[in-house]
Amino acid sequence: MFGTMSYKTQKKLIIFTFLLIPVGLLLLFTYYPAAKLVFYSFTDWDGYSPEKPWVGLNNYKEVFSNPDIFGVFTHNFAYFVMGLIQNAVAIYFAVILNSKLRGRNGFRLLLFLPYIMNGVAVAFMFGYVFDTTQGSLNLFLQSIGLTKLGETSWLGTPGLVNYSLASTGLWRFMGYNMVIYIASLQAIPRDIYEAAKIDGANAWQTFWRITLPNMKPVIQLNLFLTVTGALEVFDLPFVLTKGGPAGASQTYVQRVVDTAFAYSDYGLASAMSIVLLFFVAAVVGLQQFVLSRGGSGK
Amino acid sequence: MKSMKKKSVMLTFLMVFALSAILAACGGNNGNNTANSGNSGNSGTTNSTEQNSGGDGGEASGNELSGKVTFLTNRTDMIGKEYDEYVKRFNEKYPNIKIEFEASQTDYNQQAKVRMASGELPDLMFIPDIPNSDLPKYFAPLDDLQLSSGLTFKDFKSYDGKLYGITTGNSTSGIVYNKKAFADAGITEIPKTWDEFLAACEKLKQNGVIPLSSNFKDKWPLGSWVYDLPRVIENNKDFPNEIINTETPFTMDNGYGKAMSLIKELADKGYLEKDINSTNWEQSKKDIANGKMAMYFLGNWVINQVIGVGAESDNIGFFPLPFDNSGDSRAAFNPDFFYAVNKDSKNLEATKAFLTWMLEDSGYEDFAGFISPLEGRESKLSQLAEFQATGVELQEGMPDDPKVIEIRNKAQIDLPAIAQEFVLAKDPQAVLDKWNKAWAKAKQELGY
Repeated sequence: MFGTMSYKTQKKLIIFTFLLIPVGLLLLFTYYPAAKLVFYSFTDWDGYSPEKPWVGLNNYKEVFSNPDIFGVFTHNFAYFVMGLIQNAVAIYFAVILNSKLRGRNGFRLLLFLPYIMNGVAVAFMFGYVFDTTQGSLNLFLQSIGLTKLGETSWLGTPGLVNYSLASTGLWRFMGYNMVIYIASLQAIPRDIYEAAKIDGANAWQTFWRITLPNMKPVIQLNLFLTVTGALEVFDLPFVLTKGGPAGASQTYVQRVVDTAFAYSDYGLASAMSIVLLFFVAAVVGLQQFVLSRGGSGK
Repeated sequence: MKSMKKKSVMLTFLMVFALSAILAACGGNNGNNTANSGNSGNSGTTNSTEQNSGGDGGEASGNELSGKVTFLTNRTDMIGKEYDEYVKRFNEKYPNIKIEFEASQTDYNQQAKVRMASGELPDLMFIPDIPNSDLPKYFAPLDDLQLSSGLTFKDFKSYDGKLYGITTGNSTSGIVYNKKAFADAGITEIPKTWDEFLAACEKLKQNGVIPLSSNFKDKWPLGSWVYDLPRVIENNKDFPNEIINTETPFTMDNGYGKAMSLIKELADKGYLEKDINSTNWEQSKKDIANGKMAMYFLGNWVINQVIGVGAESDNIGFFPLPFDNSGDSRAAFNPDFFYAVNKDSKNLEATKAFLTWMLEDSGYEDFAGFISPLEGRESKLSQLAEFQATGVELQEGMPDDPKVIEIRNKAQIDLPAIAQEFVLAKDPQAVLDKWNKAWAKAKQELGY
């Protein structure tokens, strides 16, 4: 039956059939729930009842008129700072582990391993590290003589808790960023380095003038992941602090989850999610704008 | 030409495969839809016939009841262990009823609500936190159960005079303590006033023991302080609902302020964990068992858990918290989860038979450390007997007023979280003011 069709029709047909299932799955599991989310954000749904009363833009008004809701974004700042440090460290390790180093694959593996571990398990584990009286971190600090520092309440001090939590994120995701950087380093042609060597460039000049500019698109990608990651932190504070002490480590997504599941306000929670979506888009747009200005002369 | 043919066969196969997958998906959907609509449309008739046949069998002889009963339970730890033993004993009486246990995920309440939304409920389950007016939408009335004595908390999950939920067991909250830690610190009598309680804490602290394990960080262990103690202090079982009449539910001189001030005093005097923002629930049970920590202020359910991690039962005691210096002794009496039966259950009578058996004969309340849901049954747990021997008055709780819950949700008021803020705050009054404001705003917006 296909023999009579033209090659073009056959091609179209086969592309269509091959795409049908993945696109169908995508629509069913990504776009359909997303559309539902938008719909719920205009309702006053309590999460289980069959009626979903339409309330128009009330939920969005609530999000923007309640200063508490946006106030929690200040807690996310710590994750952003730690994310920048994380990228710097990742580049450092990527450059080192891309050179001819004995056992470099072993080191790569060690640094990448935390990323594979389950996030909740990692959070749980760090609960033991950060424990004030029995935690390994404080016991270590005390054993090297820093007794005063060794009594710090890492997860109980409002100014410190977010940095403690974010440092866990650094430990976990640094290896992931590093692997991406290593891949981009390997894509830089060796002859550029050879030419630089012949011209007498030192290691720092090579790094600053050749390596970094060549890695720029990948750095952009990683910064994008960092920013969205920082805005969407959830599992760490959820497991470790429940947002405590007294809400000092509550993140936006945690607040969304509480609004939906603890206070049965699915409408407001959906609106908050949609707002986060636009917020991430705006931040990423801003970042692209700032970063691409520097490179436009290239 | 030949290869062309082969190719087209291949292509046909792919097409058929792809399309059949889609059709199957659609078919599945349709099937579900029709099944669902059929259910909702004809539920009355199918149910009545089921009930008739079941009822006839029941009248002839209870043993004739048959069918499969699914039970969605939060006690995943009992599946394959105690539940198997229950089924064995149950089947001696009703050999033809098959019981199937479904393990819930960690958040029973959430999972149950999702299943309610999708209309796929098990036969027997626990009631998640929904308003009582929604009970008839999902559950069958249980007034016709034949029980040997009256039920406790009969009005709790009733609507329009019909009973929809039966408590699985009741609990009270008080001080669970390590007797040896008390004796070692030189405490010979259990404290009967707040001052005596503080003195006992001081003795324990001097002896190098953490007096009270609050598990402050985890938030939920503060529940007894904010859900039980305020109404007990006020000596008014309806206090948590009566706040609907005020714009300022949280004041220093009412139950909430007083109860939170008690735990704040303990925290300020250093009678709780060294760093209350860094506590560990699992470890605290072991520490209570081995006497590194002396007390919990929690429900009696925790007694069996402490014994479970290695404490000698004789070494664990239980007494009511003396909340002031008057010498009055009161404690909150609370129901746990409520059993409910799916109104669209295909085996309604069998489910009811199993529920009756669970209430009367299973012994679940003793295993779980509850006080029996049936009135007047004495607990087999020595700690509960000890508690009741102090002459404490058990104050039965009232069902939550849905309007109060609505205001609390709207204002995002989470009482244990407020207690956390209160204890950590330099100016506790400011915390109360903040939440009073949120309460008043939500109350006004909802028009109550």
